[in-house]
Amino acid sequence: MAELSDIALVTQVAVLHNKRAFDQLVRKYQSPVRRFFLNQTLGNEALSDDLAQETFIKVYVNITKFRGMSSFSTWLFRIAYNVFYDYTRSKKSEVSSLEDTPAVAVSLTSNLSPATSALKMDIYQALSQLKEEERTCITLQLIDGQPIDKISDITGMPQNTVKSHLKRGKDKLTDYLKNNGYDR
Amino acid sequence: MDMTDKDNILLEDFFKQAAQQQVEDNGFTERVMLSLPDHQAEKTHRLSLLWTWFCILLGVVLFFAFGGLETLKAGIMVVFQTVLTWLSVFLTTAPTTEVSLNPLVVLLVVAFVGVYLPYQTYRKLSAIL
Repeated sequence: MAELSDIALVTQVAVLHNKRAFDQLVRKYQSPVRRFFLNQTLGNEALSDDLAQETFIKVYVNITKFRGMSSFSTWLFRIAYNVFYDYTRSKKSEVSSLEDTPAVAVSLTSNLSPATSALKMDIYQALSQLKEEERTCITLQLIDGQPIDKISDITGMPQNTVKSHLKRGKDKLTDYLKNNGYDR
Repeated sequence: MDMTDKDNILLEDFFKQAAQQQVEDNGFTERVMLSLPDHQAEKTHRLSLLWTWFCILLGVVLFFAFGGLETLKAGIMVVFQTVLTWLSVFLTTAPTTEVSLNPLVVLLVVAFVGVYLPYQTYRKLSAIL
């Protein structure tokens, strides 16, 4: 079957409850969504998969609410961000937040080469220097390639707030990288 | 090239590989598809609820259409008059000696009829509707 556009697939899911169409959407977006959660959770694969699964279930249940005002991927990332936000809020009442106890959780037992694992380790270690909002803005821009207006749509923050988080986050990361010899 | 440009290049280089990283599916899509809520079951539940309300509505309409209200009124009047007759007969023929009633038994009967029975009826009706 020829690859359909996102809007065509969403319509099929919303109107006909076509699960094959939803399967195509999940296959297409599982990688960016899981990568987004991996970056937010500093490499916790099990937690990332749980949150990504919850995101796709919410997308399926609420798909009739998608009005096409933004692209499907922006709407999907907005749900993913809300899922993560709800998760951190619920966790904050139980234990201190991720930023208070940055713990890089990348699995070194996965089938990655040692060099790739080390690089991931470095990235998550660097990201652990940031506050949650800074981390979200930085990863959405530098890893997912989202422009500032899209980051604002996804997070619900005003564009100036996004810019502030990006500025502070980049300053912290630059200092961290320089202190660890990455600028040589 | 100023410091900000250099810093930006440093950051972009650092995250370049992460930006290209693709997460393998490894059965993730199947797991998501298996955990989706079943629209068919929800639809069946909604239909059964609609059917219940339709039957109730039909029952009410038929009740009024076939003069159920008058029949009910007449039935209540008959019961009421029977009770009145029975009461008057009882009062005129009752023995003059006092009948001792245990207040606890009276309280239990009143509680059973006034509280327990209506509560159970309400509970069962809620479960059905």
